[in-house]
Amino acid sequence: MTTELDPLIHVPTRLKIVATLAALPDGDALSFTRLQDMLELTPGNLIIQLRKLEDADYISSTKTGSGSAQRTTVALTKKGRAALSAYIQALRDLLGGLDVEATSPTAQSARLQL
Amino acid sequence: MDHVPGLAGATEDDGFDPGQAAALLDQATRQARRAFTPLTPLLFTFRAIVVLVVFGGCWLSVRGQHPYTGHISGWAVAVAVVLVAVSIGWTAWVIGRAGTGVSGPAQRKWQAWTGIMAAAWIIGYGAAAPLYHAGVSHPVWGLYPASAPLLIIGLAGAAVAAAFRYWPLAVTCLAIAVAAAAAGFGGPAGSWLITGVGLCAVYLCLAAFTAWRQRRSVVEP
Repeated sequence: MTTELDPLIHVPTRLKIVATLAALPDGDALSFTRLQDMLELTPGNLIIQLRKLEDADYISSTKTGSGSAQRTTVALTKKGRAALSAYIQALRDLLGGLDVEATSPTAQSARLQL
Repeated sequence: MDHVPGLAGATEDDGFDPGQAAALLDQATRQARRAFTPLTPLLFTFRAIVVLVVFGGCWLSVRGQHPYTGHISGWAVAVAVVLVAVSIGWTAWVIGRAGTGVSGPAQRKWQAWTGIMAAAWIIGYGAAAPLYHAGVSHPVWGLYPASAPLLIIGLAGAAVAAAFRYWPLAVTCLAIAVAAAAAGFGGPAGSWLITGVGLCAVYLCLAAFTAWRQRRSVVEP
């Protein structure tokens, strides 16, 4: 059972980035500007977060064109998709565990004592 | 801060607990699904109303014909043209909006799908012209436009969607073909009503399915 949350994904901004890219079909990429519009982030903040994800090989970025026509696209890699799946599983395990803990006889009796 | 299991490695945004993460993940995923899905539940519901009004209007204008001529009244044609134009315009707009900034194999498949379906529409309805020119009987002329083009479009769509492994779309197209085939048994006038009701039901099911798919949780199994 996986119960450790990937610290690279477990940050609100990066979680939103990974979740947004995961909503695309496998292999599809999203332009930097559309991603920025969707997440309402500043370019600087988005670049910093994308770099961290790219360093871990969770996303890949591609630059096309040159000068003012330059376009950057980002896509979730297979490793990134697998990391998100593991993260979701860890969340399920943790939240399931917390529910069980909250409804266990020990927890209920502790609450009654209060 | 109370210890929350599983956060041993977290170094940024302390206090972002698993419950908040699950809620944010669901919210971000739903937002992205809505943004990337070209055909929305609202559009499918609108199409359900359009087909019911358009095919229902045709049925109302031909059902009392004795002898049957198959000619549809001007008001029914006018309503159909306006509603179909609005539906096509809305569809083109949402497809363009959803695809903005998106590139890759799935996007190219979607564009191919759109092209193939446009061709199927032209072939399906265009085939009516030679029939009319050949002077087919009124019942045949009445039956063809209500069922045959949708049978062609539905089967072509199902084949292409299955090849692309777009299973919900393949099932939808097959359901359209079944509704069109069933309409063939309704006679020249009744076929309009059967097609209208059948397509309306298909679009409403599709709207409900799309809404469910967009809203379903990523975290909750």
